[in-house]
Amino acid sequence: MEPAVSNGRLEVSCGNKIPKSTPCPRPVPGEASGGCSFDGAQITLIPIADAAHLVHGPIACLGNSWESRGSLSSGPELSAYGFTTDLGEQDIIFGSEQKLHESIRYIVSRFAPPAVFVYTTCVTALTGEDIEGVCKAESERLGTPIIPVNSPGFVGSKNLGTRLAGDVLFQHIIGSTEPEQTTSHDINLIGEYNIAGEMWHIERLMQQAGMSILSRITGDGRFREVGWAHRAKANMVVCSRALLGLAVQMERKYGIPYFEGSFYGAKETSYSLRQMAYLTGDRDVERRVDKLAAREEMRLSLELEPYRKQLKGKRAVLYTGGVKSWSVITALQELGIKVVGVGTNKSTAEDVSRIADRIGDDAEYIPEGGARQILKTVRSRKADMVIAGGRNMYMALKEQIPFVDINQERHKAYAGYDGLLSLAKQLVHTLQHPVWELTAKLAPWEEETEFAD
Amino acid sequence: MLIKSATKPVSVNPLKVGQPLGGVLALQGMYRSMPLLHGAQGCSAFSKALLTRHFREPIAVQTSALQEMDVIFDADRNLEEALDHIWSKHHPDVIGVISTALTEVAGVDFQSRVKAFKRERALKDSLLFSVSLPDFHGSLETGYSSTVESLMDAVLGLAGGKSPKKQRRTQVNLLPASYLTAGDVMEIKDIIASFGLEVITLPDISTSLSGHLLTGFSPLTRGGTPLDSACQMLESSCTIAIGASMERPARRLTHAAGIPYHLFAGLSGLAASDAFIHFLQKISREPAPVRFRWQRENLLDSMLDAHFYYSGASAVVALEPDHMLSTAAWLEEMGVELKRLITPCSTPALQKTEREVWIGDLDDAEESAQGVDLWISNSHGRKGAARAGASFVPAGLPVYDELGAHTSVSVGYRGTMEWVNKVGNVLLAERGRGG
Ligand code: SF4
Repeated sequence: MEPAVSNGRLEVSCGNKIPKSTPCPRPVPGEASGGCSFDGAQITLIPIADAAHLVHGPIACLGNSWESRGSLSSGPELSAYGFTTDLGEQDIIFGSEQKLHESIRYIVSRFAPPAVFVYTTCVTALTGEDIEGVCKAESERLGTPIIPVNSPGFVGSKNLGTRLAGDVLFQHIIGSTEPEQTTSHDINLIGEYNIAGEMWHIERLMQQAGMSILSRITGDGRFREVGWAHRAKANMVVCSRALLGLAVQMERKYGIPYFEGSFYGAKETSYSLRQMAYLTGDRDVERRVDKLAAREEMRLSLELEPYRKQLKGKRAVLYTGGVKSWSVITALQELGIKVVGVGTNKSTAEDVSRIADRIGDDAEYIPEGGARQILKTVRSRKADMVIAGGRNMYMALKEQIPFVDINQERHKAYAGYDGLLSLAKQLVHTLQHPVWELTAKLAPWEEETEFAD
Repeated sequence: MLIKSATKPVSVNPLKVGQPLGGVLALQGMYRSMPLLHGAQGCSAFSKALLTRHFREPIAVQTSALQEMDVIFDADRNLEEALDHIWSKHHPDVIGVISTALTEVAGVDFQSRVKAFKRERALKDSLLFSVSLPDFHGSLETGYSSTVESLMDAVLGLAGGKSPKKQRRTQVNLLPASYLTAGDVMEIKDIIASFGLEVITLPDISTSLSGHLLTGFSPLTRGGTPLDSACQMLESSCTIAIGASMERPARRLTHAAGIPYHLFAGLSGLAASDAFIHFLQKISREPAPVRFRWQRENLLDSMLDAHFYYSGASAVVALEPDHMLSTAAWLEEMGVELKRLITPCSTPALQKTEREVWIGDLDDAEESAQGVDLWISNSHGRKGAARAGASFVPAGLPVYDELGAHTSVSVGYRGTMEWVNKVGNVLLAERGRGG
């Protein structure tokens, strides 16, 4: 990975440009997959657990999507509530601004949240409601930040929505509050959503090395806490291309250095911790990280031994979309697994080059095509398993291909040193499960009919 | 009838889902079909994810993938492109074009574009139809039944719309409501068949979403009613509609081909099962098979065993309209006090019921659930039930935190018994905790 520093002094973080919003290729009607920008914005902001998230539009946007992610909260549960203006025909004909006003007031008076996020959706964007105006008026009236999130589904892909949510964080929230105290070892995590509690693992590791998380952006986040993110010593962007722009903007405005990293695999985990420690500028913390990494890697390699033996040489097709691909590849390689196919459908050129660094030309790159292409690759490369998001799980099961879920809906934490061990166990248990043999065999009476024919 | 609704301006923890979801669900019950949502791509992605989570099966659905500029300039160009793409690549037997709130509000005339496409391509042996399902009306149930109605019209059009040449006395049509699981549909088909009747089901999710092991990926549905069977519905001697929402599609067959229909509001509970068996005995002119005698007795015995735990129990039920009514009926047979019945939208059947019904959300359920024993709703209700201290029983859609919800059976004597025991066990466990 690119070093974030040169000459021992901090000059540029990895890449000093905001990733351009490359005009996303237009989705092909009749062959599109993936969520909308509203979805992306929601995924990014909903983990702010104590805020209320209000979706302004007809029912489908919220009704079909809430409670579908595995982001966990250690405390407040308000963001797990589904709030929507649930517009009816009359609201659309006569305008729904009044309804939005009333909805915001209702939520604030009943739940007293530190903030309300108000999401535009296709219909309310099309009818041209003045959502920003409503939010502004209600912020003033109620004394609670009411934050418009202008990322309706039809502007583009999920990734674009995530980027737009990053802008919302930067423009409306970061810099709005001050922490009670800071230390010189405060780090922000950006793009870590605490799926299945992964962030808690990472936080424990950081604490052991004498570092702490100042703002969680946004997994298990709190609204006020995100507001004081500008006081951190460094930003780590965790597996998120779409939120890189946020880190770049923060570096420009507040001079906070950042780096991109991942916690999948022991190597990446140690690298990320070292990088953090380095950016705190504290030699002592660096030494502690070195010790911690050495100790953990040693322990891990002992504990992984039996699993490595069973996984060695196994072949996997990985289809995660985007940044996670390269970091998961590293983790799999540490377990002795050969990645023979990898999805690059949502990856940027930079992601692809990182993937190439890790697997070279040995693997098949799957730029698009979803299920059908994944299966083709599994067959042609004789893969033993598919590692992908829930969307493709049942396709794999139908073909009786062992499957491990790696995306947002999963219930297992794979980050950090212990996470790699969990992943190894999960892979072994999946591959060795008796069900594969059972499904591969015909019923005895079916065989007999065959003979009779 | 008494319909109430809370006065809050905002929906908190909605029970409602968008109508297009119902349309997508209905089309999963047609063989080699593809629902095409005319809207931005998020709507189809959410529908797919939600149904996949519930059924634990791949779901067929596509989108016209509108983006902002398409909506402003020519949304129907996208539609045509999508149709073209799906048609030339996958040759489905059925495509249902389903509008979304976005295309409805944009006021595009997609219906005539669909007709034009059909004419130009001279599609003869396949079915292309459209249905208008804005999210700002109704919910899952209405989306599903409207789609079945449009599908029925399209089938009638394909079959010539004339009265059939011959009528088969022993052939009947079955129109199952949206809330019936793949297991339910299978059970109902089985019950009907045990009277020596042949049954054509539309739509039939029992052969597409109950869990097949077909290999060879296809983006189209892998089971469901084949189009030619659907066309043979015109030769049936009668139509059996389960759930009030299926009355309108059933009526289409009556109007077009003079086929009488019989409506059953639900098939859960002793009375509902009795009525159904009695009806089948009459139309088949066959005595009820002896197994129903057994099943009925088993059910009654279970009800006796369970009544200790049910007596004095109270419940909040939050489900789609037909499902809610059917569930209320069997719970009442078990002596459960119905504290509040909640449903996401109003329907003609609700206007007629004598029960007090709330049009509302899961927050309205929570408000009334303090001190109540049971909470029955989709999985989104779990947290609210826990806050209110009520025991939670998942039902409806989506159920994503329990295995087998999509194949569990709640109809007929056997299905009722399954639920009497399932809910009874929850009450029993609660009692064990001193609840
Ligand atoms: S595409 Fe638009 S209407 Fe559909 S879910 Fe996304 S925001 Fe809502």
